[in-house]
Amino acid sequence: MKKRGRGVAWMFYPIGFTAYANPSAAFVKVNQDGSAVVWTGATDVGQGSTTALAQIAADALGIPVELVTMVTSDTLQTPMDIGSVASRVTYIAGNAIVRACEMAKQILFEVASEELGIGPEGLESRNGWIFVRDFPERRVRLAEIARKAEVVKGRPVIGAGSYNPPTTFLDPETGHGKPYNTYVYAAQVAEVEVDTETGEVKVLRIAAVHDCGRAINPLLVEGQIEGGVAMGLGYALSEEMVLQEGRVLNTKLADYLVPTSLDVPPIDVEIVEVPDPTGPFGAKGIGEPSLLPTAPAIVNAIYDAVGVRIRELPATPERILMALREKEKEQPGRSVRDREDGRPEK
Amino acid sequence: MTVITRPAPPPVVEEAAEGAVGKRKSRHDALLQVTGQALYGVDMKAPGMLWAKAVRSPYPHARIVRIDPTRALSIPGVACVITARDIPHNRYGFTHQDQRVLADDRVRYVGEAVAVVAAETLRVATEAAKEVVVEYEPLPAVFDPIEAMQPGAPQVHEGGNIAARLHIRDGDVERGFSEAEIIVEEEFRTPFVEHCHLEPHAALAIPGPQGTLTIYSSVQRPFLVASDVAKVLSMPLSHVRVVATSVGGGFGGKNEMTLEPWVGLLALRTGRPVKMVFTREEEFQATTVRHPYRMRYRTGVRRDGTLVARSVEIISDCGAYVSWGASTLAKACIHAAGPYVIPHVKIEGFLVYTNNPVGGAMRGFGVPQVGFAYECHTDSVAAAVGMDPITFRLRNGLRDGCRLPTGQVLERVTLHQTLQRALELAGWERGAVP
Amino acid sequence: MTFHLRFWLNGQEVRTEVEPDETLLWVLRERLNMTGTKVGCEAGDCGACTVLLDGRPVTSCLLLAPKAHGRHVVTIEGLGSPAKLHPLQQAFITYGALQCGFCGPGMLLSAAALLTQNPHPTEREVREAIAGNLCRCTGYQKIVQAILAVSRGEVP
Ligand code: FES
Ligand code: FES
Repeated sequence: MKKRGRGVAWMFYPIGFTAYANPSAAFVKVNQDGSAVVWTGATDVGQGSTTALAQIAADALGIPVELVTMVTSDTLQTPMDIGSVASRVTYIAGNAIVRACEMAKQILFEVASEELGIGPEGLESRNGWIFVRDFPERRVRLAEIARKAEVVKGRPVIGAGSYNPPTTFLDPETGHGKPYNTYVYAAQVAEVEVDTETGEVKVLRIAAVHDCGRAINPLLVEGQIEGGVAMGLGYALSEEMVLQEGRVLNTKLADYLVPTSLDVPPIDVEIVEVPDPTGPFGAKGIGEPSLLPTAPAIVNAIYDAVGVRIRELPATPERILMALREKEKEQPGRSVRDREDGRPEK
Repeated sequence: MTVITRPAPPPVVEEAAEGAVGKRKSRHDALLQVTGQALYGVDMKAPGMLWAKAVRSPYPHARIVRIDPTRALSIPGVACVITARDIPHNRYGFTHQDQRVLADDRVRYVGEAVAVVAAETLRVATEAAKEVVVEYEPLPAVFDPIEAMQPGAPQVHEGGNIAARLHIRDGDVERGFSEAEIIVEEEFRTPFVEHCHLEPHAALAIPGPQGTLTIYSSVQRPFLVASDVAKVLSMPLSHVRVVATSVGGGFGGKNEMTLEPWVGLLALRTGRPVKMVFTREEEFQATTVRHPYRMRYRTGVRRDGTLVARSVEIISDCGAYVSWGASTLAKACIHAAGPYVIPHVKIEGFLVYTNNPVGGAMRGFGVPQVGFAYECHTDSVAAAVGMDPITFRLRNGLRDGCRLPTGQVLERVTLHQTLQRALELAGWERGAVP
Repeated sequence: MTFHLRFWLNGQEVRTEVEPDETLLWVLRERLNMTGTKVGCEAGDCGACTVLLDGRPVTSCLLLAPKAHGRHVVTIEGLGSPAKLHPLQQAFITYGALQCGFCGPGMLLSAAALLTQNPHPTEREVREAIAGNLCRCTGYQKIVQAILAVSRGEVP
């Protein structure tokens, strides 16, 4: 018999290392033609950091993103970055880049203030223009100012910045402290179908709603969530290294089951954007959190479907069948919904 | 080849209304990716390049009696063999300096590298690796963290098998349980999981003038790799340059130094570029994995569904070396109570050495394990008080200004909002947010 | 004992000497320096090395090079060029179908073979056609969307 069920799970997850310093640094220069180069040690491992960081740099400088060249992840040629880990790059490297851009912009604004007849603090830049905040029609091309700064004033437009989230270590006695500077949140709902004859679980659909602060690039954020859900689905149902005396018995991708296109269901993704004032343009992060609620949502959905609680991952057909048989033994003939798991004896 | 990405062609600068933030922009390097031009670690090449292959332990725990590379070195095309003796400073690690670049006196897990061969072709390197004679004296091994904690268990390292312990206390958990009307206790387990980034670990080392070294590697943390390579090879940091290539996925599996010091040292020894790529088998057996956890959850709740106390005990199978084990355990402990308001909490974590594969960093860093446990446990607790899981969550979930067991106060908490939207997206009627 | 391999690679005739037990994957990547074709397992399990052999997707890590003798092989380098992208390549860019991109070449070729054979596949058929191409990053959703968009002629 095939039975359907739904389950929910939510999560909270921090951005950055646990208490340890985990800085990023960045350099930027604005060329005479108003284009820019950003140097960051952050490595794009597929999550899309280089693209998101370019978008941050573009808006921090006030130039089109197409004019931003990124130089990344080279210990000789780029400034320090602790790495693409801990869902930290958008938040921390992003903040470093904003700071570097602020420094470069200060030079631009000082040079532009002569032209526009107002102090640098009254200026803003956007899309290649520097303008008076209160009279946006009073403006000058950023490229013109960049050229003037370098060629006439002898002040090349450069900037450097770094960021490290403020944290404290845990007290060894109590475990109290503030190990992270910010958190993200999410909830997912899974709908499954369990075959009570074979124990097989088919995930029919996942709804995933994540708050990542401001989404610098919703396309890439969605991609992170969808990929995380797939990884969470593998964690829930199929992925397990089988060991015998320390030797891995399934060392092939044919025997260790990463979800395929047929295993991953349609995923409804929604991004809740609550900007964080400590992040670049309000952004936080998304990389790791995306997979967290998936496995428990699926396992809770299995319980909803057939009334057995799987407490050991992955929830393989064998484990589900065993649990179903166990339940049948305990309460022969009773319907699966009668017994709520974990309820103490009355 | 530093990764420099720029889109082409630049458009005319005109006054588009808003900026780039919030835009659905395609990846900077998308064009390179879809045309097969993006260069990953596995794609790196240099003229005169040698291939490297590791010699790995078939034993989970053994004393190394003797390593004899003579036969391997006599094979035509073999350029160099390195062992622990060639590593100037054979210790590294983030919180615990227990890892060896190459095993010295003992091997502690199946697949631990004891030697690395460089040869003209991959074929010769692979053949020669089989000809490196390693004499082992097998030692008693331990594969279960609970057994490893018992007195008299085989010792993976000196100083006992408990590599790290951590606890977090908030409120008075005993009092909390005495105030509870219902207590629910469950045990959860999670498996060993491999990252399975599609691109294996791969690196190319190129020797430069005056003893300098450039290493191209498919890695998430080039700066950590550079400083660790400099340390273990006793080189000035200024002589080591690490460049991350395009990376075919990492998920935490490329968080640390692996093959870089081997190809680096072989390149310095031979004066030639040296390349190495792990096989999929090596990825499973010899690189880091997600730690398996055993988690005992005990929760006290009132009949009206208010949480009052929770204790969690976590036992993490560290594997043979700590790597990121202590850090992942810390993150797991901090989040183990879940996103709930619970006045009395006690969390206890143990990281235990075994002769299993080494646990490292993997997406979520200890939290997917506890996240599975605390969310399934939440459903059990809700059922125990006869509440549906959604109402129960909405009642006990963290909100703005709530405090975690670490004492940290949270702001801009959007749990209820995300749950509400997820239920709506899934077309789930019951349990709307009050 | 070398084998004189002659085959058509992306429409061009190629002649090269290979060991008879070398795989096509190795010949492409190491002898011909065509590294667009990726390598993820060398066991036929991941699909990263997929190329088209006479129009059919094959895992080139399992195909001995001599088996390609006299036949047509298409790799990612032959699917389209930066100046003239195949619609699938364009769609993969627009829809954000790739993250690390390592599965991309194989995935694109499997998709191209599908659309040649079945220009208007259902979502299920798309998922079946790429079931041998593992992707660890994307969850496949945007890949499937991109392929379906091409099949509907919706690629911008
Ligand atoms: S490399 Fe050929 S299928 Fe994986
Ligand atoms: S995009 Fe990374 S494997 Fe598919």
